[in-house]
Amino acid sequence: MAGELIGNILSLIMLVGLGIAGVIAVLVWKKNRASRVTFLRFVIQAVGLAAFFFLFSLEPAIPLLYVLIAWFAVTLFLGRFFCGWVCPFAFIMDIENLLRKALKIRYRLLPDKLNLALHKGRYLIITVFLLFPLILWIFNPPPDTATAIMMARLLAGPFRPYSLIIDPLVPFVVPWTGQLILGNINFSYPYVANITSLIQATPGQIFAIAFVATTLIGAFLVRRIWCRFCPAGVSIAALNKFKAFKGVPLLYIEKDEAKCTKCGVCKRVCPVQVNDVYDQKGGKIKTSQCMLCARCVELCPYEDTLKINLGNKPVFKSRNWLEPSIINEERKIE
Amino acid sequence: MSKNQTVEQRYLPEIQRKEIDELKTTVKGASQKIIADNIARMKKADSHRPDTMKYFDDIANLFGRRQQEIEAEKQKGKKIIGYLCLFAPTELISAADAIPVRVNSGWYDTSKLGDRVVPVEVCPVIRSTIGAKMIELSPFLEQSDALISVLTCDGMTKLSEILSDQKTIWGMNVPRVKDSTQSLRFWSAEIKHMKTQIETFTGNKITRNSLKEAITTSHRATKAFRRLQELRKGNPVIMGQDAMLVNQAYSWDDKKRWTEKTEALCNELEKRVQQKDWVCSPDTPRVMLTGTPMFWPDSWKLPALVEEGNPKGIIVADEQCSGERILNDPIGVDEWSMDDMLNAISERYLMASTCPCFTSKDGNEDRINWLLNKVKEWNIQGVIYYVLRGCMLYAMEYNRVKKALDKINVPVYYLDTEYTREDVGQLKTRVEAFMELLNARIDF
Repeated sequence: MAGELIGNILSLIMLVGLGIAGVIAVLVWKKNRASRVTFLRFVIQAVGLAAFFFLFSLEPAIPLLYVLIAWFAVTLFLGRFFCGWVCPFAFIMDIENLLRKALKIRYRLLPDKLNLALHKGRYLIITVFLLFPLILWIFNPPPDTATAIMMARLLAGPFRPYSLIIDPLVPFVVPWTGQLILGNINFSYPYVANITSLIQATPGQIFAIAFVATTLIGAFLVRRIWCRFCPAGVSIAALNKFKAFKGVPLLYIEKDEAKCTKCGVCKRVCPVQVNDVYDQKGGKIKTSQCMLCARCVELCPYEDTLKINLGNKPVFKSRNWLEPSIINEERKIE
Repeated sequence: MSKNQTVEQRYLPEIQRKEIDELKTTVKGASQKIIADNIARMKKADSHRPDTMKYFDDIANLFGRRQQEIEAEKQKGKKIIGYLCLFAPTELISAADAIPVRVNSGWYDTSKLGDRVVPVEVCPVIRSTIGAKMIELSPFLEQSDALISVLTCDGMTKLSEILSDQKTIWGMNVPRVKDSTQSLRFWSAEIKHMKTQIETFTGNKITRNSLKEAITTSHRATKAFRRLQELRKGNPVIMGQDAMLVNQAYSWDDKKRWTEKTEALCNELEKRVQQKDWVCSPDTPRVMLTGTPMFWPDSWKLPALVEEGNPKGIIVADEQCSGERILNDPIGVDEWSMDDMLNAISERYLMASTCPCFTSKDGNEDRINWLLNKVKEWNIQGVIYYVLRGCMLYAMEYNRVKKALDKINVPVYYLDTEYTREDVGQLKTRVEAFMELLNARIDF
C-alpha cells in the first residue's frame, strides 16, 4: 500500500518533471515570439491530458467530490485558467485547429450576439443539469434518493446519451465516472468513452453520436466552439463584475490604456471571440468569457500594453514580437 | 503624358511642351541644389555623422540612384504603383511583384504652379503635388503606372480627381468613424477590392506565399525602425533630421535594402552609445514634432532650424505620417492564411492609424494616447505642433492636443507655415524663442 502510494507520487513527480522539461525545451527551441506561448500551451495541455488519465486510473480512486470543491475554489481565484491551459478536451480542439491551419482552411466566426447568447446559455445548461436529479425524482421516484446515485443514474443509466451535453463536466462534478480500460490505460475521458460505448443504435445513442460528431466538426471550423458554451466553464470570474469581489480574481489581464493603439489584434486573434479586451479602456479587464489563453498578450505588438497579472505581479507581458533591441540601462537619462 | 494625351484635361491647364521642359529644368536644378544643401547642412550640424548615413544621403537624392533603379525595373516589365497616402496597403503591391513608392511632393516651387489649378487656401502638399505633375518633376510620380489614392482629407479627395487627368487612379474610401465593426467591414471590402485591382493590373496573382513574404519584409523593416527609435530614447546619438530622413526614405527605397542599412546604422549607433559618444550635449532640450507631414526635401527647413538654432534642440520623436507612423505598427497576423492576412492588413491600416481624419466620441484618443506615451517614454520636454496653412484637420485638433499636454505640463508650440522659404527668418526667431523657453524650464 505504502509502496503503491510512493509509486503514484513518483509518477506524478515524473509527470511534472516532464512538463517542466517540455516547457524548457520550447523556450530554448522556439525563438519566434509570436508562437512561443502557443507551443508552451500545447506542452502543458499534453501533460494535463496524461495527468488526467493517470488520476482516473488510480486505485483506489480519489473521491472526485474533493476535486470538484478544489476546482471551484481555484476558479474563483484563477478564472478560467484551466480552460485555456489544461482542459484535455480543449487540447483535442486545439489539435483540430492545427490540422485546419495545416490544410489552409480559414476559420469561421460566430456572430457576436450568438457568441454572447451561448456564453449566457452555459449557466442555463448547468442549472438544468444540477436540477436533473430532482426532475428524475419527480417522474420516477427511486428507492434511494442520495444525490450521488441520482447523478449516477443520469450519467450511466438510460439518460446517458442525452447527458453528453455536459460531458466535460463529468470528471469534475460527478463523484463517479464510468471507466473504460484498454490494456492498462484508462480511457474514461468523456469523448473517447462515449464513442466506444454508444455503438448500439437507439434514438438516444444516435443523438449522442450525432452530437459528438457535430461538435468535433464544429471545432474544426470554429475555433474552440465548445468553450463558448461549455457548462464546465461556468466561471466564478463572473464575480469580478461586481465591485464587492474586485480583489477576488488573482489571475487577470491588465491593459495599459496609454500604450494601446486600438489596432484590434487582440480582438481578432481571440479563439473564443472575447471583445472585452479590446472594448474596455484600460486597467483590469473584467470578463467571464476569457480563458486566459494569453494569445492576445502574445500577439499584441506593443511592449507592456497587455499583461497577465497574478496578484499584482505581471507573469507575462506583451512584448514586441519583432524582438526589441537590447536596451542599455545606463543609456536612459537618470 | 503619353497615353492620355488625347484625353481632355478636366482640371490641369494645357501647357506647351517647351514650357514644361523649361520649367522642369529650372525647378529640377533648384531642387537638386536644395537636396545637396540640406545634406550639407545635416553634415554640418553633426560633425561626425554616422558613416552609414552616406547610403541615405545617396537615396535622398530623388533624381539619382533610386530613380535609375526604378527605371531599370520598369524596363524589365515591373509595374510601379504609387500611393498618395499612408493608408495604401503597400504589402499588397509588393506581393504582386510591383514596386510601391510614395509620391507626395515636398517641393516648394511647384506649389506655386499648383495655384493655377486650385486656390491658395488649399493645403500646400496638394498644390505642390499638382504642380509637380504639371511640369513632370517628380520622378516617382512620373514613373508610377497607377496611383492609389486614399480619400482621407478633402485635399486628397480632389487631388486624386485632378491627377486622374493623366494617371490611372484607384480611390479608396476611408470610413471616418474607425471604431466600429461596420467600418472595418467596409474597409476590409476596400482592401479586398484593391487586391483584385492590383492583381488584374499587374497580371500577377497575389498568392499566400508572396503576401506572407511581403508582410515578413515589412515586419523586418518595423523591427529595424523600432530599434532606431529605441536608440533615440536615451541620450542623443543621432540628429533628429538624420533619423527623420531614414524613416522617410523607406517610402521610396527598396524595402529589404532599407532594412539592412538601417540595421547597420543601428549597429553603428549602438557602438557610439557604448563609447558615450553623444551627438550633442545630453542637456539639449528634447523635442517632438507632430502635425502635418513634412516631405523631403524642402520641408526640412523646420527640423534644420530646430537643430541648428542657438540655443538648439534635438528632435527625438515625431508623430507624422511622413515619419514614425510609416512603420510604427506591424501587421499582426494570427494564422498565415490568405483570409487572416487580409484581415490583419485591413486592421493595421485602419484601426492602428492616428490620422486626424477620424472622428470619435472620445476625441481621437488614439492620437492623444500616442503623444502622451511618446512624451513619457522618450522623455520629451517640448512639442512643436507643425501645421501647414490649409491643413484643416491638424489645425483643428490643436486645442485637443494642447489641453492634453498641458495636463502633464509639457509645453506645445503651434507653428504654422507655408510651402515657402520666405518665412525662414521669422521661423528661426520663433523656434529659438521656444528653445529658450525649454532651456529655461530645464534649468529650473
